[in-house]
Amino acid sequence: MAPLPFSPYTFIQCPCSDSTLLARPADAKSPTGADAEEDERTFDPRAPRSNYSLYPLEYLLYCEDCHQIRCPRCVSEEIATYYCPSCLFEVPSSNLKSEGNRCTRSCFQCPICIGPLSVTTQETRHPDANLLSADNAATPHSGGFSLTCSYCHWSSTEIGVDFDKPNGIHAQLAKIRNGGESRLTAKERKERRKELSHRGDSAAAAAAREEIEEQVPDLENQFANLKSFYNSQLADPTAADNGLSTLGDLGFSSPSSLSRIMNLYTGGKISDNKAKSRLGAIREALTPEEGLLVANLDEAALISQLHQSEHCDTASMAQITSQPPNLGEPALHGASRFTSSLRPIPHLLRTKRSKRCPVCRHIISKPEPKVQTTRFRIRLVAGSYIPSISIKPLTLPGPSGSSSSNPSDLLISLKPVHYLLTFKNPIFETIKVTLATPAATPGRFPSKVTVLCPQFDIDANTDVWDEALKDNDRSDKSSRNSGGTTRQRRGTEAGYQLEVGKIWERGRNWVSIVVEVVPASLRLEDGGMLREDEDILEIPMFVRIEWEAENAGDDGGIVPGAGGKDKDQKEKRELAYWCVLGLGKIKQN
Amino acid sequence: MSSKRHSIVPPVSQSGPKPPVQFSSSITIADSAILTGANLITISTESVIHPRAKIESLAGRINIGRRCVVQERATIGAVGSAGKITEAAVTLGDYVTVEVAVSIEAGDTIIGEGTTIGVGSRVGAGAVIGKHCTITPHSDIKAGVRIPDYSVVYSNGTRRVDKRPVAEQLKYKGLARQIDVLRRMIPSNPAKFM
Ligand SMILES: [Zn+2]
Ligand SMILES: [Zn+2]
Ligand SMILES: [Zn+2]
Ligand SMILES: [Zn+2]
Repeated sequence: MAPLPFSPYTFIQCPCSDSTLLARPADAKSPTGADAEEDERTFDPRAPRSNYSLYPLEYLLYCEDCHQIRCPRCVSEEIATYYCPSCLFEVPSSNLKSEGNRCTRSCFQCPICIGPLSVTTQETRHPDANLLSADNAATPHSGGFSLTCSYCHWSSTEIGVDFDKPNGIHAQLAKIRNGGESRLTAKERKERRKELSHRGDSAAAAAAREEIEEQVPDLENQFANLKSFYNSQLADPTAADNGLSTLGDLGFSSPSSLSRIMNLYTGGKISDNKAKSRLGAIREALTPEEGLLVANLDEAALISQLHQSEHCDTASMAQITSQPPNLGEPALHGASRFTSSLRPIPHLLRTKRSKRCPVCRHIISKPEPKVQTTRFRIRLVAGSYIPSISIKPLTLPGPSGSSSSNPSDLLISLKPVHYLLTFKNPIFETIKVTLATPAATPGRFPSKVTVLCPQFDIDANTDVWDEALKDNDRSDKSSRNSGGTTRQRRGTEAGYQLEVGKIWERGRNWVSIVVEVVPASLRLEDGGMLREDEDILEIPMFVRIEWEAENAGDDGGIVPGAGGKDKDQKEKRELAYWCVLGLGKIKQN
Repeated sequence: MSSKRHSIVPPVSQSGPKPPVQFSSSITIADSAILTGANLITISTESVIHPRAKIESLAGRINIGRRCVVQERATIGAVGSAGKITEAAVTLGDYVTVEVAVSIEAGDTIIGEGTTIGVGSRVGAGAVIGKHCTITPHSDIKAGVRIPDYSVVYSNGTRRVDKRPVAEQLKYKGLARQIDVLRRMIPSNPAKFM
């Protein structure tokens, strides 16, 4: 296979990678101090740390109060809404605590292939009857409803589960074991018990209790039994200990309550021995009713099932882990290992999150809380504050062309190439851009870099229509000056000669400049191997933008008593950051 | 009216001699279907061959059952890597759906009744797929593999046997309805291939 063609990229460094910057309180008035420090060392895009701080412009946010770039790593997130991705139903966070993080309506995924399951009426089991009544749409279907996967035709009937109603599947499923056997939920069981204890009829009570006990000891069952057993033990350990009745005891004088209270004060150190002796009074569960579960170590049935099945009949790790906690499952050794016992997976809920600036805590991204809308209330993306940089190899037609490269071509060592960097200004003010690059790229193979025009202004991102009207005037003027185009191409008259200190091309809110690169030779003297990605030509570039903004008056640094005059004054702003330009791959010889 | 629409694909080149065919009078075969080879191609009652479906009988006889649907750019009877010539290259049972861009290689390959071969799948030479199977999209059935009835084959290679109560009648009815619609949508031109 041919290697993928290299496409140039720009990554921007978030200031959060420098921990000193985050610790310092936001001070919009004097950012120069930090910059001065930064100026002294060159950012190395190959340093291991850099992997964690470089982002494409599209990933970055911007805090308007700190005037700083913020990345996904440093913003703090808050969950605004929980919702089901399938039915787009918003789940209140109070439900989340009681019901868990899955959709409790009728949204399920196929346990085998994770395709969405749909509720279908069960196909009738009598094909002959079906044929006869084919035209009669009103025939009541004989079976119930089932969940089916339209992708792989898995159906809940395979695990012996069908439903009476087409809605509220989640609640129905909780009451059905694989195989169709119904089971009591914890609540129902409690009610059943209460009913029994209230009724005097001992014979009927015993029979009903037996019925409950006969149920497969599933996780929920066992937990409920154990919990009630231990609660009763904690309430009166003396009863089990010496058989003395504690009638009229409100619990305060019971030894276990006392020791618990003492523990609160002493931190459990002094009364440790005492507590231990008290705990000794609490016995363990002895009967299934108390929550005792005898481990079933006889797995012969499972092993014989394994012998009869093929490899693909056993559930994969991913399938088992994606299963929801099944409270109806037999505890411990009965856990399912076969695909034939996997249950439908209720959809996991998703979240909408708002993002805050880590320094000033202002919200910089906030989605519309309604699940159905994809809009944002607040979203301060970096792309609307800092210029975008696009990279294009510059091909000069004509004999004087110093390079003629295909974008997909590899760079040839020591052969100078030119790249066109286009800066596009997103803000409504004219910005002044200053660029700085090291003369040679860091790393073992330094390539030489020259920015032909390191300082330039970009016009404001004004209204397109305003500009179009203005263009008419300007083209009249410029036709006299430079050949009638609204774009001023510097190279035209000079026969595509590259001039140092001159802009290559300029437009409404963008400027193109040229960078000359001499790729390094990748030859190693000791005959060693190239490390990963060492053949990629990456240039670290320090960008400083200065502009004059309308003084909003809400900045903390401005003295409030300065009066109305300041309001009209423009405030000087600046933003500086490192970025990395990935230009191309150097050919290895 | 179709002449006004310009297709981006180049016209089908029907080169070489026509293969001998045996068509049922009720089939639907698009004008731009491609039939090549030297062996007999049989297409039975009410089957539908979409435009640009390709049926090659170079490596043996091709037998397409009743109410089969062969969709666009599907190739039946492709001479695979084995390249051996057999008596019956490919046999499709009744009610078989071969979806878009499927390739079924020649060499005693048999697809059972009621089976669906999903989009972009490949069925190797000599594979025998049972009845009422579902081969999910982009699956690769290796040459000579036998797949039991009612299997579902996933594209990641895993399989499952469908244990539902059989509902062939319902499926057949759906397929019959689909064929009915297709018949109205695809202009049939069996005469071109005879
Ligand atoms: Zn950050
Ligand atoms: Zn849902
Ligand atoms: Zn599925
Ligand atoms: Zn901030």
